[in-house]
Amino acid sequence: MKGSQLGLVGRRVCSSLWARLWTHVLTAGTMAIALFVFGALMLAQENLQNLLSGWGDQIQINAYLDKGLGAGEVSLLRDKIQSFPEVERVRHVSREQAWKDFRVALGAHSHVLEGLPEDVLPASFEIFVKPDYRDGPIVEALANRLRKEKGLATVEYPQEWVDRLSLVVLALQWAKWVLGGILFIAVFFIVRSTVGLAILAQKDEIEVMQLVGATEELIQAPFVVEGLIQGFIGAGLSVLGLWFLVLFLRDQTLTSIGLFGSLGQLQFIDWRSIALILAIGSLLGASGSVFSLRRFMKRWKG
Amino acid sequence: MIQLFHVSKIYPPNTAALKDLNLQIAKGELVFLAGPSGAGKTTLLKLLFREEEPSKGQIIIHGKDVTKLNSRGVARLRQQIGLVFQEFKFLPHMTAIDNVALAALVTGVPRQESYTKAYQLLRELGLREKYDAKPPALSGGEQQRVAIARALMNDPMVVLADEPTGNLDANLAEETMRLFRKIRERGTTIIIATHNLDLSQRYGTRVISLQEGYLVDDLSPLKEGRTE
Repeated sequence: MKGSQLGLVGRRVCSSLWARLWTHVLTAGTMAIALFVFGALMLAQENLQNLLSGWGDQIQINAYLDKGLGAGEVSLLRDKIQSFPEVERVRHVSREQAWKDFRVALGAHSHVLEGLPEDVLPASFEIFVKPDYRDGPIVEALANRLRKEKGLATVEYPQEWVDRLSLVVLALQWAKWVLGGILFIAVFFIVRSTVGLAILAQKDEIEVMQLVGATEELIQAPFVVEGLIQGFIGAGLSVLGLWFLVLFLRDQTLTSIGLFGSLGQLQFIDWRSIALILAIGSLLGASGSVFSLRRFMKRWKG
Repeated sequence: MIQLFHVSKIYPPNTAALKDLNLQIAKGELVFLAGPSGAGKTTLLKLLFREEEPSKGQIIIHGKDVTKLNSRGVARLRQQIGLVFQEFKFLPHMTAIDNVALAALVTGVPRQESYTKAYQLLRELGLREKYDAKPPALSGGEQQRVAIARALMNDPMVVLADEPTGNLDANLAEETMRLFRKIRERGTTIIIATHNLDLSQRYGTRVISLQEGYLVDDLSPLKEGRTE
């Protein structure tokens, strides 16, 4: 396409966007909502994945001690566990320390603990596994061995949670594409209708352009660019919405209940995901236009 | 040279608009297509600029079979054909000069060059003061001249005009015909469809008469001893 033709396309895009501004705003808004839902699922998936990999990095076993255990017995038990080849180090968390840690984790909500006795939480060992042994079956075998040790009331390790959360992540991944897919199909038809309206409104202009020798590409290009812009703006708005959602969640909820507090803040989606959302938005807009054009051009050709 | 070989056009379900038409029009001819409404004049013009495709036959324009063109080829053909319609077909929100320049812009001629040429043409056709007026603000004759200017923008080899004087009074019709004769002097082939017999007899170098889709008469000035 030559410079003057590009100029012609640009002017037609601008005049069409201006002439049907509210239709375009509504379409971009609809796209923004659909992509926001998709992006929110992506956000949840990415953060849970980060959480899982964080847990994986610092894999540890919590072994809660029997209540009546004396200091000497605790020390002996600790030395014994430390001697296991899989164990990197063992940290003893006294009842007092457990209480303090819990208060810190609750942060602003620590007042809910008012009135409870400070020795309500059991003492425990935090057992850190050597990097070479941080593997599901090995950790499970170690946990089972620890369960047989006298003096230990309960043994827990996060692998169970890792497994459960992995399932949640997988479900989110599927939901993202299934729900996203349904929304994208709906958006595709909305864009197709919007562009169809724009084409109908410019029917005379298209006819005149055809008569003076405009190629199909030149006639169709403004509508495709229009759809592309609509999609890109809709996707941009959804990313902006996600950013505000993350800011809101960081300030209001998740950090204060300590879910992500211990492992860093709730993370915004990475640049690859942002690029994916922008690409999906632009593609939806452009493809909606192309299909609409094919429909109308065919109809006019008879 | 425009050649038609056994051209027929049948609209569904079974309405024949043109029947087995054979025709040759030489470069630089001014030809009238005459005949009553429904004779097939407009259909023939539509076949020539490929708005319609013939049901049968072959149409050759300057050596190219226009029935076999793809969409890009059709666009290129139309860039070489100037079209003037009875109802003008302007974009009402654009000025006269915008409408004229559009014909060159779509072919990729730079904007400045397109507008310079459009202005020159409008000036030549006596619309120097009206170049920035929008079509609805122009009189019938002025609109006709804008349409002719647009048809001439790409230095076409052929100008096709469908009832170009249909909406004009006698004086304006006269003026329009003078313009067409002037254009013909450039070597452009001009084909005018009209049901105005008087006009075709006064200005036609050749009058092709159609009736119910058949070619019923092809009178050239040599045959009839007529001169321009």
